[in-house]
Amino acid sequence: MTPNFAVIGIETPHWHTPRLWLPLFLLWIPVTLLSPLIFLVMVAMAIACRMTIWRIIAIFWGILSGLPGTHVHVRADGNQVLVRIL
Amino acid sequence: MNENRRQILEMLAAGKITADEAERLIAALESGPATTVGEHSSSTAGANGSMGATVKTRAKYLRVLVEADQEMTGLNGPTSVNVRVPMQLLRAGVRLASLIPAQAHNQFDEALNRHGVPLTLSQIKPENLEELIDHLDDLTVDVNGSDCNKTKVRVFCE
Repeated sequence: MTPNFAVIGIETPHWHTPRLWLPLFLLWIPVTLLSPLIFLVMVAMAIACRMTIWRIIAIFWGILSGLPGTHVHVRADGNQVLVRIL
Repeated sequence: MNENRRQILEMLAAGKITADEAERLIAALESGPATTVGEHSSSTAGANGSMGATVKTRAKYLRVLVEADQEMTGLNGPTSVNVRVPMQLLRAGVRLASLIPAQAHNQFDEALNRHGVPLTLSQIKPENLEELIDHLDDLTVDVNGSDCNKTKVRVFCE
C-alpha cells in the first residue's frame, strides 16, 4: 500500500508546531499530471542502467509501498522532530 | 499456491503434523500474511509427540534506539533517537542498489578501500543482499555504556 499520510511534528524550547497531518494521497494528482514526464525520466534511467523499464518501475513502486510504517523521532538539545509515514 | 501453504501441506503429507494442526496453521497464515512456516518460536507438537511444525511471525520493522545523556553529547538534556524502518523498505532499498551503473562500481570500491572497507561492490549480488535482509530478523544489538557513560544503543527487529 502506498503512503497516505505523513505526520510531522517539530518542537523547540521556544515554539512548537501542532502535529501536521500531510495528505500524501493528494500527491497522486500532480504525479498523474506529470506521468508522461516521469515515464520519460524512467526510460532514460532504464537506458542508462541497461535495465528494463518494468524493473525500474518495480523498484520505485517497492520503495513507495515500503514507506508506510516508517517512524523517525529525534530529540536533542530540547528540540524534537517526529516524522511518521502512515 | 504460496510457499508457506505448500510447506504446510508437505509437512502434512510427510506425517509431521496432523490435519488439525495443518488447518490451524493455514488459518494462522490467512489471518496474518507475515507468518511463515519452518522457522522457530511458538511451536506445536505433532501427533507422535515430536516437534511437528513451527510458526514464526516475521519481523516487519527494524528498530534503532539510541539514548545518550547530556554528559556524553554536551547538549542540554538527554538525546534520543528512535527510528523504525519497515523491512519492506530495506528490501526495496537493496533492489535500488542494482540501479548503480557498472561504471560507478570501481569508484565505489576505491572510495570504500580508501576508508578501510575492502569491499568489491560488483561481487555483491542483489539476491545476497536480500538474503542478508531476511536474516536481519534474528538481529539484536544491545550496547550499554559503562561507568558514567549512560549511552544505550539498541538495534532489533520487531
